[in-house]
Amino acid sequence: MQPLVLGIETSCDETAVGIVHGRKLLANVISSSVDLHARFGGVVPEIASRAHLEAIQQVIAQALKEANVRLSDIDALAVTAGPGLIGALLVGVSSASGLALGLNKPLYGVNHLSAHIAVDALDNDEKIQPSIALLVSGGHTSILQVNNLASDVVVKGATIDDAAGEAFDKIARIMGLGFPGGPVIDQAAKSGNQDAINFPRGLTHANDLVTHQYDFSFSGLKTAVSRYLQQTPNYKKADVAASFQEAVVDVLLQKSIAACKESGIENLVIAGGVAANSRLRELAQERCTKTKIRLRIPPALLCTDNGAMVAALGSLAISEAVAPSKTGISADSAAQITQLIW
Amino acid sequence: MSTVLAIDTSTSRTSVALIAGDKVLFNEFHEDPLAHGEVLPLLVEKALKLNVGVDLIAVGMGPGPFTGLRVGIAFAQSLALGMNVKWHGVCSLDAMAFNLAQQKDNKDFIVSTDARRKERFWARYENGERVNQPQVGKPAEIERFGVKVFNEGDYYPDPISMAKIALSNSSIDQPIYVRKPDAYPLPENVKFREFTGLDLVTAVAMEKAVYGKAGWTAGQFKEEFAKAPKNAYYIAAESNGELIGYAGIYFLSEFADIHTITVAVDHRRKGIGREFLKRLINWARVKKAEAIMLEVRVGNEEALPLYIESGFTEISRRQNYYGPGLTAIIMRKEL
Ligand SMILES: [Zn+2]
Repeated sequence: MQPLVLGIETSCDETAVGIVHGRKLLANVISSSVDLHARFGGVVPEIASRAHLEAIQQVIAQALKEANVRLSDIDALAVTAGPGLIGALLVGVSSASGLALGLNKPLYGVNHLSAHIAVDALDNDEKIQPSIALLVSGGHTSILQVNNLASDVVVKGATIDDAAGEAFDKIARIMGLGFPGGPVIDQAAKSGNQDAINFPRGLTHANDLVTHQYDFSFSGLKTAVSRYLQQTPNYKKADVAASFQEAVVDVLLQKSIAACKESGIENLVIAGGVAANSRLRELAQERCTKTKIRLRIPPALLCTDNGAMVAALGSLAISEAVAPSKTGISADSAAQITQLIW
Repeated sequence: MSTVLAIDTSTSRTSVALIAGDKVLFNEFHEDPLAHGEVLPLLVEKALKLNVGVDLIAVGMGPGPFTGLRVGIAFAQSLALGMNVKWHGVCSLDAMAFNLAQQKDNKDFIVSTDARRKERFWARYENGERVNQPQVGKPAEIERFGVKVFNEGDYYPDPISMAKIALSNSSIDQPIYVRKPDAYPLPENVKFREFTGLDLVTAVAMEKAVYGKAGWTAGQFKEEFAKAPKNAYYIAAESNGELIGYAGIYFLSEFADIHTITVAVDHRRKGIGREFLKRLINWARVKKAEAIMLEVRVGNEEALPLYIESGFTEISRRQNYYGPGLTAIIMRKEL
């Protein structure tokens, strides 16, 4: 019997609920407060938490409707318990706890980061473990070796300063392109030349590779772009966007593919919000074909924060016979990727 | 007879009670301002183990510190959804005042809970009825009434009272947020800029609309405005190109004096006055003023809390300042 799992995600600015039946995606409803944050150029925690509470009941109802299931049919609940904004996480965790107690069904507190990877299992029967995972989002950039997503994940490297998504946000803000940075730069870059400016690739020199083989650094790139903008009054927005994006994407893929080669693992999963970036998807396909690595990237719609990924990880935990979380789980805003299930 | 599960997380305490008629079946709390999220499901699980069935879930809607408050509301709404029963929101201060109001000597009193940042949430009750919307403010703002104040620590929102209120009053559907979030956005179309001579006509009309006969004439405006930029600072707010408010401050030697903060009636309660005040205070700081003074009419319940919250304290009163019977409170803030 495949379990029917309802997943709740409120770690940042999306109030999201997804419903899965085993590995089948039934519903994925997202209410975003991104418009409220846009004028600050970043997510304002208090506004996000407020919006979550306002939206959550409606989003749950909408997801049930979309999946065409009754609440009483749900077998288990899953919820993002961290990492994320603490006030925002607590709205989801409390809501899921109330639902689990009210329905008398098990609850799985899950890690937001591993959920980004777990979403790849939806509507996909290929066995993809073990795999190397490149996790790229607004808050995280890391390379992981995924032996089992419910129990065994090893961190091979991570950013030593900004996350890739953060770099996108900051550059978009400097260039006056808006928020969030990922989609607006992706869009602006489409009409630009990615080879126009040669921006630096952080931590790729031979001596960096000794100590930071799979680590990333984007702060130098950020400085280089803002210096370029200051020194080049008539810069072409599209060219800057494309060249900046190319620098990020290039270094992400260089290191991911190196990790696959070194470990002998031929599966690469790219997950997280930045995985929706069209240039990353395109270049990843090109390079993986060349190196005979099997590439998996979830559909763009499932790359950004959503509830389906949370339900997917809950469903995986059930299939791996992981025990449900105890009543009264705490949200952990700084949870590490290695804490998979609460 | 209804069985009510009552939940409150509006204070440092997480309270859960299960009440059937006059019978209290369960009543427990846990004291920890940071643990509402973990404690609440455990307490409710314990109450539900009594297996008596629940007809209604009552939940405290605040006011209270945001994070804990939202834990209780989010949990209660979903629990009700899962159990397929209704939920009912109650003002947490009412649940604290309920028993106090039954006592003979409490005809006129205030209940107050900790709002952090050296502020209190409070509401005033007369003859058992709440007479104002819940407020947030400095302790001085509460003490000025000179009535008995019951504070969190000695008293808490009582879940048993909450169950009773839920069965007799109408539900409060939204959390009671009396404090604006620190970075709450101003309405998107509002712009702040310098006040200019071109604003005079509209400003004089607005003076008349807001203050009646006491409003400034064009001549008075010009006189004050002429001191800018050296000794005066006047700013305007506009919405879609239309003047909706202005504010001015005057500075000489050590003291700055706020002359006016005026917002068109239709645009109040949107944070515009607060933004004006912030900008005037900043200007006075740049001028290295020692203190800022202002006058506010007694009974101006919109402006007074803002001034107190911004650090102004009453130094004296002037009778008939705004016309016969209209007293001004003189306030001062040290910089
Ligand atoms: Zn994410």
